[in-house]
Amino acid sequence: MPDFGRLSADRLPHTTPVAAPLYPPPPWSLPGAEILKVTFEIDKDVCLNWLPPSLGRTSPAYAHVIIARYPESPVGPFSLATQYLGCRSRMFVRAYTVQAVTDNEAALSALRETWGFPCKLGRVELSRKGGAVEAGVERGGRRLVAVSFSDGAPIDAESVRFDPVLNLRLVPAVQEGKPPALVELAQIGPAYTIREALRGKAAVTYPEPSEGDPWHLLQPLYPIAAVFVVADTELPYARFVQPY
Amino acid sequence: MKFGVFFELSVAKPWNPRSEYEVYHNALQQIEAADRLGFDQAWAVEHHFLEEYSHCSAPEVFLAAAAARTSRIRLGHGVMMVLPPFNHPLRCAERAAALDIISNGRLEFGTGRSATWTELGGFRCDPDLTKEMWDEALRAIPKMWTQETFSWESKHFSVPPRNVIPKPVQKPHPPLWVAVSSPETAIQAAERGIGCLGVSVGTPAEYEQRVKDYRRVIKQCEPAGDFVNEQVNGVTFLYVDETDDEARFWGTKLVYTFANFAAHLVGISSIYPTPAYKTPGLLFAVRREAEQQAVTPAGTPERAPGGGGVIREGMAIGTPQTVIKNLKMWEEIGVDRMVFLINSGEQVPHDRVLRSLQLFAEQVMPALDRGAPAARPRAKGRGPRRAEPAMP
Repeated sequence: MPDFGRLSADRLPHTTPVAAPLYPPPPWSLPGAEILKVTFEIDKDVCLNWLPPSLGRTSPAYAHVIIARYPESPVGPFSLATQYLGCRSRMFVRAYTVQAVTDNEAALSALRETWGFPCKLGRVELSRKGGAVEAGVERGGRRLVAVSFSDGAPIDAESVRFDPVLNLRLVPAVQEGKPPALVELAQIGPAYTIREALRGKAAVTYPEPSEGDPWHLLQPLYPIAAVFVVADTELPYARFVQPY
Repeated sequence: MKFGVFFELSVAKPWNPRSEYEVYHNALQQIEAADRLGFDQAWAVEHHFLEEYSHCSAPEVFLAAAAARTSRIRLGHGVMMVLPPFNHPLRCAERAAALDIISNGRLEFGTGRSATWTELGGFRCDPDLTKEMWDEALRAIPKMWTQETFSWESKHFSVPPRNVIPKPVQKPHPPLWVAVSSPETAIQAAERGIGCLGVSVGTPAEYEQRVKDYRRVIKQCEPAGDFVNEQVNGVTFLYVDETDDEARFWGTKLVYTFANFAAHLVGISSIYPTPAYKTPGLLFAVRREAEQQAVTPAGTPERAPGGGGVIREGMAIGTPQTVIKNLKMWEEIGVDRMVFLINSGEQVPHDRVLRSLQLFAEQVMPALDRGAPAARPRAKGRGPRRAEPAMP
């Protein structure tokens, strides 16, 4: 009889490496976040091309670009830029994540593994001067997206809404010829306590389009809304998961 | 309590060249039946670009056709968009007066301002400004109908002295209403002395405070028109059948389809931060309930067609006995009229809709007091505040 290992499954931590996990489990408290959110109409066929079959488009189709800086988190300060398709999951308003870039390696792993954000590592900028905000994303030497927010004026925080996010959790197959080990949509609904909210005008551009990071596929056709908020937020466990 | 039918003219996909034709012509037949069976009003919405949910963008044409086919039922704009970027208020007044003439004085004039980005964005209309645009138009239109020389100057439109013609048949003018989907708008209706036209499907319990607030505030109103139209319309779904099981089957299809269409609209409050729109969208409670009931204990959504338990308290879905019981709840909270959505996307076959209307007329209407308005408290020493417009 061989001697077997003692690390039973019930003693495993939430992630690897088991001796010292790379990041703590949810919920993550993220106080003092600065968040710029821009919403714009997009082409309906582009929207349909990138939405999973369990989700529906709206009329008109729309997208969000959200660029956030989190000065405090369990893995230190990080920034996160995301691009979403506005959609409906059965009867509910959701935002399906298409692109994401962060600037912190531990955050990258946690966002991908735990919450399913399709994160890549890159440079995320966000700088505010009064009612104006400049933000952008760079990766691989290319400026993928630039957002310019201006004429920000205070607005009732209660009118600002962040829709629950649907992330594709896709764990690749480890054996050749097999389907992915996991394909599901995780619904993440961060809580927000908004301290300050500004509504203004914004322009979203994709200065240096990249086939490897195709943020430029969601071209703005018509602006809808732009807000900048300062908020305490929390990234929780998924409320539930649903089939792809 | 009085009863009416309400038409969105929903057209389900996949569309074919006859889809819209069939919905329009079925609806006209249903209005004819409602007229014959003793329903009191038929309302048609005005919506633009709302695929599937509503293809009723020219209600004045639809209602004119209804007027030509009927003789008794009152015909309502439920509601006309009176914002200048959609319809210049002069055109609103002209078209409504013409419809009042065509219908021999049967027009109910509902007003509104849209609640979707789809529409406001389509007309390049600033959501922040719609309430004041609506208010200006609401106050101007009755003057257009009653003054021989009308002129107007306000923030969003102006008119040099003109005689706006034709004048409506009803004197001084048709009853005024506003679409109400929030407690705030119910108060604003009362302040202006106009009817509260419920357009959000809720339960009697959800409406109760709204009705109380409306009745309280309208006592001190400054009427926007020439008379006070103190009336509350509730709205819900109607499907009557021989058994509750059969009624719930078709009723669920009706409610679920309508809620699903509504869910795919882009409501202002869901996308554009503004204090001007606070409600969480059409049929929010129905959608929330469907969501909660469609999630199994294991946490994965049930994907059965037909959805979860979308039939809520107070919906007129069931046997005649069930529907009578449910409508008594509305009567109890002081609603004057109930208006019914009777189909959506033709999910209920047309002959079933007609049969449902007939069962309602034969077995439900007689059981409810249709002669008197619902009971309501009145301030001491005050006379009736409701005035019916008169025919010449």
